[in-house]
Amino acid sequence: MRRKRKGIKRDEPTDIELNIIPFIDVFSLLNTFLLFSAVFMATGIIEVQVPFLSNAPAPKEEGKRTLEVKIDAAKNKVQVITEYSKDPRNEQKFDFPNSKEGIDRMHERLVAIRQANPTQDKLTFYSEDDVIWENISALLDSAKFRKQTDPIFQVKNPKSGEMEQDTQFVFSKIVMGSVIL
Amino acid sequence: MASVGNKKDTLSLNLYPMMDIFSILITFLLMSYSTDPVSHDVNAGLELPDSQTMISLDEIPAIIVTKSELFVNDKKISDIVNGEVPKEQLGESYQGAIRPVYDELKRISDANKRIAVATSTDPALLGKTGALTMEMDKGHPFKLMKRIMLSAQQAEFVTFKLVVTRLEN
Repeated sequence: MRRKRKGIKRDEPTDIELNIIPFIDVFSLLNTFLLFSAVFMATGIIEVQVPFLSNAPAPKEEGKRTLEVKIDAAKNKVQVITEYSKDPRNEQKFDFPNSKEGIDRMHERLVAIRQANPTQDKLTFYSEDDVIWENISALLDSAKFRKQTDPIFQVKNPKSGEMEQDTQFVFSKIVMGSVIL
Repeated sequence: MASVGNKKDTLSLNLYPMMDIFSILITFLLMSYSTDPVSHDVNAGLELPDSQTMISLDEIPAIIVTKSELFVNDKKISDIVNGEVPKEQLGESYQGAIRPVYDELKRISDANKRIAVATSTDPALLGKTGALTMEMDKGHPFKLMKRIMLSAQQAEFVTFKLVVTRLEN
């Protein structure tokens, strides 16, 4: 004998509705939390240093002939200067217009300098008084940070003393040369 | 005559469009959610320059230079007029430094040293110079930045973390 199944009959039209009120509650709470904690502008930092006279003993490299890389920024012109610390100094100057294209070209030059001098990761930055911070930040950006298309440079780990790959920077140490006591 | 009052109507609010909006809003908020160690609201009177930097802000700025005011640790130090500190507010300065900025930073530097002496056992750390985070309006000239840096340098702060707007790559 065939037994009849109890419960919902398949032939009968059913009116099932999903209770979405708990969903809405969760969504509302999540929305409120996210809206309160959201930061819509990501801030970052560019780290620079100013020269400082110290009583600490001079580093060992002091006597070596090393390349000094400088940027001298004016309102309309940027100059990249390379010079050795000892004779023959071989001073070289590269001029660029202080515009977006000029800054891009300056970046290419700095990458080439860094490639030719893999151990040199320090750059000294000079600027005229009337150059605005927006312009200076663009120049620092260009000098400090590596673009995706740039080669990866080596940098000495200050703790271990070993050379490591530096994926972030072209010149990691930037000294604000204009700020002199 | 038909009477409306006797009729039992079932009114149901269609919540699906609202669900759709909520979902989109949540997706957007989750995408823009920042996990930076420090979340800092930039002052209304201040515009930051853009940068490619990947380094996140790791502490609240100690020096804030808006379009018209200069603050050190939320304490107003001086006004800024046409990108300069007025001469009468420079104080008895040395080589272009801003005296009130120097005084305030020196006080902080001395306090940091006292804490280091009391807590640190490593002598190398005691003579260590400090780092400062500085937030400055993008329209200010380098002359003002130089004055502030010089003041800070005299108060033994030599590393500066300059706050910028990070461009998403």
